[in-house]
Amino acid sequence: MRRVKFLTVAFGLAAVLCLTAGLAFHSYAAGRSTPLVAAAADLTMGKAQLQSASRLAFGPDGILFVGDSAGASIVALDTNDRTAGSAAKMDVSGINAKIASLLGTSADQILINDVKVNPISKNAYLAVSRGRGPDAAAVIVRVDGKGQLSALSLDNVKHSSVSLVDVPTAASGNGGNARTQTITDIAFLNGNVLVAGLSNEEWSSALRSIPFPFSQAAKGATIQIWHASHGDFETQAPVRTFVPYMIQNQPYILAAYTCTPLVKIAVSDLKPGAQVKGTTIADLGAGNRPLDMVPYQKGGHNYILIANSSNGIQKLQADNLEAYKPITSPTVMDTGGVPFEKIGELKGVMHLARLDDSNALVLMGTNDSLDLKSIALP
Amino acid sequence: MLKIRLALAAVALLSGVTAAAQVVALHLENGAFKIVGWKVGPAEPPQGWPSVFRVYSGAGDVPPLLGTYSVEAGSLVFHPRFPLAPGVPYRAVFSPPGGKSIEAIFDGPRQETTPTTKVVHVYPSADVLPSNTLKLYLYFSAPMSRGEAWQRIHLLDDNGKPLQFEFVEIQQELWDARNTRLTVLFDPGRIKRGVLPEMQMGPPIVEGKHYTLVIDRQWKDARGVPLAEGFRKSFRGGPADRTPPNPETWRMIAPKAATAGDLIVEFPKPMDYALLQRMLGVSAGHGNVAGAVSVGREETQWRFTPREPWKAGAYQLTIDTALEDLCGNHIGQAFDLDKFQQITRSIESKTISMPFEVR
Repeated sequence: MRRVKFLTVAFGLAAVLCLTAGLAFHSYAAGRSTPLVAAAADLTMGKAQLQSASRLAFGPDGILFVGDSAGASIVALDTNDRTAGSAAKMDVSGINAKIASLLGTSADQILINDVKVNPISKNAYLAVSRGRGPDAAAVIVRVDGKGQLSALSLDNVKHSSVSLVDVPTAASGNGGNARTQTITDIAFLNGNVLVAGLSNEEWSSALRSIPFPFSQAAKGATIQIWHASHGDFETQAPVRTFVPYMIQNQPYILAAYTCTPLVKIAVSDLKPGAQVKGTTIADLGAGNRPLDMVPYQKGGHNYILIANSSNGIQKLQADNLEAYKPITSPTVMDTGGVPFEKIGELKGVMHLARLDDSNALVLMGTNDSLDLKSIALP
Repeated sequence: MLKIRLALAAVALLSGVTAAAQVVALHLENGAFKIVGWKVGPAEPPQGWPSVFRVYSGAGDVPPLLGTYSVEAGSLVFHPRFPLAPGVPYRAVFSPPGGKSIEAIFDGPRQETTPTTKVVHVYPSADVLPSNTLKLYLYFSAPMSRGEAWQRIHLLDDNGKPLQFEFVEIQQELWDARNTRLTVLFDPGRIKRGVLPEMQMGPPIVEGKHYTLVIDRQWKDARGVPLAEGFRKSFRGGPADRTPPNPETWRMIAPKAATAGDLIVEFPKPMDYALLQRMLGVSAGHGNVAGAVSVGREETQWRFTPREPWKAGAYQLTIDTALEDLCGNHIGQAFDLDKFQQITRSIESKTISMPFEVR
């Protein structure tokens, strides 16, 4: 048998990897360039084990971090996609049907779990599940500025991974363990991958900070996140989605909890074993779940665009976030919180990602037909 | 363009399309698509094999399937990257250089249609649930499909009207690894005291009111087949429980030596079914004791059956302090901590133990 051509587009395949240890790169986190030491030399060529692709985040030099909930790991993939591109208009209608054909199935068997844009090439990367059952395949689909689709080769790619599995406690019983940890969001910030997760069993909150390059000896420090209400009660609060953000030249994360408030947490507080209490700066409404957040600047002002499960797209005024008094009582919510407005014309947005300084990328539509398109940041 | 629809493993005979007047046939064999009767040239065309032979699984402007090409016994073969999916039609298009394109449609493996999957249990089992109940566990008899849970689960009030925003509709859905158990969280914002959703909407369950959990029959299992039957569970709202579980209130019934009888632990209130499977254990001086766990009496009883008969002597029940009741209160700590009570927050779960004697 003569194998003629490997059709799967392999970004990492047969490419001359230009990364070397010591190559300087810049962090895109928090809108600030921080010199770091390149880590791609620590990635190894081979088959990347990816059981699921839940959430994505870009690190430096085209390295894509994939949160794998089923595999309980974070996988770093070298996309080998380092050619600078300008943000083109992107408009791919029926992207779920297109991905379905690429992967040889029907559109109803395609789940798009996350969308992110490579800040260098401006190509979009989608975390895709081919199938809906426990044996579904995880695929990373790339969409270029012309709307052409390809799949990142996982068979032969520079990669590394870190397990999120903790050592079982002594009282681990004998009744079997069906516990899983769903990765609700990841981000790369100052040389660390931040991972927020939610257990399908115990109510807990663990934000993990994992140094990159990965080392099995350092799975990262777990930080407990708490949420206080009007001073009387506090709970552990699983983080739903978060984004790095600079306030008064200090790095923060803005985090949306599973139970609605938007809080700010100083990155300097994220120390191993710490119990961190976020400061509530807005409440985005009951019965609602923030999905993605994109900070941007326009006309000399700072904003954060927030995609929500039921409250549509919200535009948060994000100048001088330090100046707002923390919300300490629901009764002052209308006057105490950071102001935001609803962007009514965008409905059915499921994912939102930054495309460039002026544009965002949205995945929107109904379950039957999804479109990937760029929008001007409002 | 010629177009022929065929069943799985069928052959499309497309006569008169080659210069040599040889019969050209498109085959689907063992999950690979093959052109028979067309002489493959000595080299791949400049535009690549996809310019000659492509397979699609959808209509309109869609890209061809990912896969690899090979030449086997003189025939061009396309191997899809992923196995063919049940119930999906595949369109193979052969575009001979300089000739007319021809295509054939093949069906993928047969789609199963017999509904067999059921909801086997919903925990908590009790028919009175605290108003601040945090979780439900839905157990299915076979793996389920992701992505439609929030359309298929409803909580009705005593007038049969669906409640609004009672659950955290987590997009990823909190399944176990086999997709046979789904964890459903009530909105913690409506359980925790003093936050906006709780102030605006109150708790999802109200003490004294009656509710019905409804699971739609239309929910598809992992084969894409709906459930064999829907599921309903009725319950009444009980008082809120904000008291951490206290092992000192548990009752232990020790087994007899030289028997394989159960160690029985009884709780004064129901505990979290899933956590009971793994957060209680038995140890002796030589380490953990192997055995099987069962949970009964509406999650107020935990039983441990040892693999080997008990030996007379001292044992310990080991307890992970992360063990929760139905309301997210865990040992030593309520779900929402009243700061004025000055309870020390535990940084991480710990293991405590309670001794018992086997005689």
